[in-house]
Amino acid sequence: MRIVVAIKQVPERDAQVRIDASAKWIEESDMQYAMNESDAYALEEALQLKEKNGGEVIVLSVGPERVGTTIREALAKGADRAIHVDCNDLANRDALAVARLLADAIKAENADLVLTGLQSDDLGYGQTGVILAELLGVPHASLILTVEKTDGGLKVKRELEAGWFQEIELPMPAVLAIQSGGNKLRYATLMGIKKAKTKEMRVAAASDLGAAPAPLAVLEGIALPQKQRTTQILPGDAKQAAAALVEKLKFEARVL
Amino acid sequence: MIPVHATLAEPQYFSVLEKLLFLILVVASGALFWRRFGPILHRILASRKDPDFHLDHLGRRLWDFFAEVICQAKVIRQRPLPGLAHACVFWGFCAFALVTLNHAAVGFGVGFLDPAGFFGRFYFYLAAAFAIACAAGIFGLFARRFFVRPRWLGAKVSYESGIIAGLIFLLMITYLAAFFTTDGTTAARVLWWVHTLALLVFVPIIPHTKHLHLVLSPATVFLSRGEFSKIPPLVGDEDFGLVTGKDLTQLVSLQAYSCVECGRCSEHCPATNTGKELNPREIVLGVRAYLNGPGPASEEPLLGKYNSQTAVFQCTTCGACEFQCPVGIEHLPIMVGLRRGAVNTGTWEDDYGAKLFNQLERGSNALGISALERDKFIQKQGLPVFDGTQEYCLWLGCMGAYDPKGREIVTAFARVMDYLGTSYGVLKKEKCTGDPVRRLGNDLVFQTLAEENLKNLAQNKVKKIVSICPHCVRTIQEDWKAYGTPPEIEHHTEFMARHADRLPKQASNEKVAYHDPCYLGRYRDVYDEPRALVQISGRLVEAPRHKERSFCCGAGGGLAFLGEETGERVSHMRAAELVATGAQTVGTACPFCNSMFRDALGEMNGTAPQLLDVAQLIARGLPEPIAAVATTAPGGSTRE
Repeated sequence: MRIVVAIKQVPERDAQVRIDASAKWIEESDMQYAMNESDAYALEEALQLKEKNGGEVIVLSVGPERVGTTIREALAKGADRAIHVDCNDLANRDALAVARLLADAIKAENADLVLTGLQSDDLGYGQTGVILAELLGVPHASLILTVEKTDGGLKVKRELEAGWFQEIELPMPAVLAIQSGGNKLRYATLMGIKKAKTKEMRVAAASDLGAAPAPLAVLEGIALPQKQRTTQILPGDAKQAAAALVEKLKFEARVL
Repeated sequence: MIPVHATLAEPQYFSVLEKLLFLILVVASGALFWRRFGPILHRILASRKDPDFHLDHLGRRLWDFFAEVICQAKVIRQRPLPGLAHACVFWGFCAFALVTLNHAAVGFGVGFLDPAGFFGRFYFYLAAAFAIACAAGIFGLFARRFFVRPRWLGAKVSYESGIIAGLIFLLMITYLAAFFTTDGTTAARVLWWVHTLALLVFVPIIPHTKHLHLVLSPATVFLSRGEFSKIPPLVGDEDFGLVTGKDLTQLVSLQAYSCVECGRCSEHCPATNTGKELNPREIVLGVRAYLNGPGPASEEPLLGKYNSQTAVFQCTTCGACEFQCPVGIEHLPIMVGLRRGAVNTGTWEDDYGAKLFNQLERGSNALGISALERDKFIQKQGLPVFDGTQEYCLWLGCMGAYDPKGREIVTAFARVMDYLGTSYGVLKKEKCTGDPVRRLGNDLVFQTLAEENLKNLAQNKVKKIVSICPHCVRTIQEDWKAYGTPPEIEHHTEFMARHADRLPKQASNEKVAYHDPCYLGRYRDVYDEPRALVQISGRLVEAPRHKERSFCCGAGGGLAFLGEETGERVSHMRAAELVATGAQTVGTACPFCNSMFRDALGEMNGTAPQLLDVAQLIARGLPEPIAAVATTAPGGSTRE
């Protein structure tokens, strides 16, 4: 099985996020980065499929030079080779533009299966994997926890709500967007990192794959949520308090 | 009738045939000895060289040799009665050097010590005194092993020990009996031959048994790594720790062959005492069996047939084993080395372990909690932020920043520092020092943490650190050295003890049982400072196992992060021991010990003693701070 895993490098979970001067993105100068969480589960699923069925795992990431660290982490965990689409203007690309870059890089690989994470920890669109499937012209399924190879293709377990799951069978090639939590993640080892140094990491410049089209969705601005908790004790007896409450709900909180 | 001035009787004449026979037997004995010892020596020398071993600090090595080998200090101190018996046997052997030499010389007709001469009589009488002590000693040790049967010597009775004991006893008896015969008689001749045969049988047995320590252990003690728990660096791209025989180093091999199987390590091991698979003696003997089997050039995994991976990961790295060993075996580098071999190559599969590693890869602390919680704690307690101008950086650590009890300890200590007028601050950002992953053998995560932390400390211009956690202190001071130059660091009890004269003495008769944390006691030799502080706040009582013999709380070695324990819980065993002292309070100096005992005491029936860190014991004696901050804004509403 040839599996391509698309991973994204996102700001670290624990990072103290500050809005930058333009108020359109976060301050990146002292940011620490890590692999997107659901992408880590996608990688784990790919590695387990390779261990069971043989084949090759190729890791793919779009981003500036710094994503090299995350790519190497993926190689250290067991991916066989990597493609880095060098792109410095990710901020100007929407999900469609990024999916186009991924599709261009994947097309030459003749992959049986493409795994992406369900959504990114920073933007959280949840779209890129699905758009990618459309661009590649293959079936897809999202919110996938586990994947099994069958004679006809794949059998996947999909997470619904309230503890319900769904099983889907689909042929290969396909794209699956993987949800977090389906497997226990393996840890990167020293031996893995040393081996990763010898594994191939091919760099393709984003500009080679075509100019970025005008984004269809534009990020207008970001702001930190204002947390405010005020407690008001309404005076008077039950009848008076109820009347005061209704007024506040109507005109202050505006929920009625 | 005993002659008044008995002298040692010697056979006066040996025939050529006898001399020839004696020569042949000596050569045969030597050859048989070498047949077994030669390959052992070869295996030790064929092992990899230790990358960080230097034959330096000769003064200290000579002193350790004198104290441990010649004076048998640790042998006696840690197990007094058997230790003394052994010392008598050892000193007997030493005293017999000239006796044996002369004995052999007599066999060739060139005896040089005249038993009737002044020096001869003095020396032989002196040796006789030693012989009596030695015979009594070996008899005592024999009785202990075969009749008393202490469980630390193992379930199986060692017949080879019986044979050796018999031979030594025979050597002493034949020597002493020679005082009761006369020169030139058949009796003297018979005694001489029996003594000789006993010796010549003894020599080749040595390398086949644990008595090889006679030859090796003086070297082992002298050639120690030089520090407690000295974990060697990894060298080059192919070094992942102790994976196969090829990774075994000369010191490890020498130490494995020096084991006397005394069981002192196992006796003090928290895992062995609570029914776990881990037994430190068996780990060392497993390495020895591996060397005798596959050998130092083999690619067979060290963890498999000869040692169990499960056992190795039950170690809390408390160091009681390494401390107790009378022949200089350094267990901790072996344990961590074996763990490294499993973790760095990914052969250790453990859900909790993987979770810990992943948490520290992407987050800042071992507990997997958001760093924002640490910020909130700092803000809420009003702890000053380190800005390069203060004297001390107060290192919170994972427990101090995120654990409720750890936070209480930090708050108490901050109160003490405020009272003393110390200038200090806490860093805006901290990452875990990496202690748990260091002890578990994950060098990838540890290196990342050490380097990032060192960079952060340098950027913030930190010169001196004080910490409430002995694990942080140890890791920062010692383990980070491989990746840079850490700032000075001390434990909060060392800091407070320096200012003890300014801390208000509490008029309290409350009994406080102080528990020595492994990483403060055995690892750092800090025993008196916390006790001085305890004495300020109450009456110190000692647990039966205290100071260097303190029994681990069970959290170390990364084990606090590894989920449920099998068998009896180490923390419960130690807590019971502390409670049995009758103390009203258990005093700790480590947030991990505190956490473990909080759980153990909480499960006890009846009223458990209260549990307080030394900082809390001191802080309760301080006057209340002057200004109280108003928490309610006017208007009847509260804001968060």
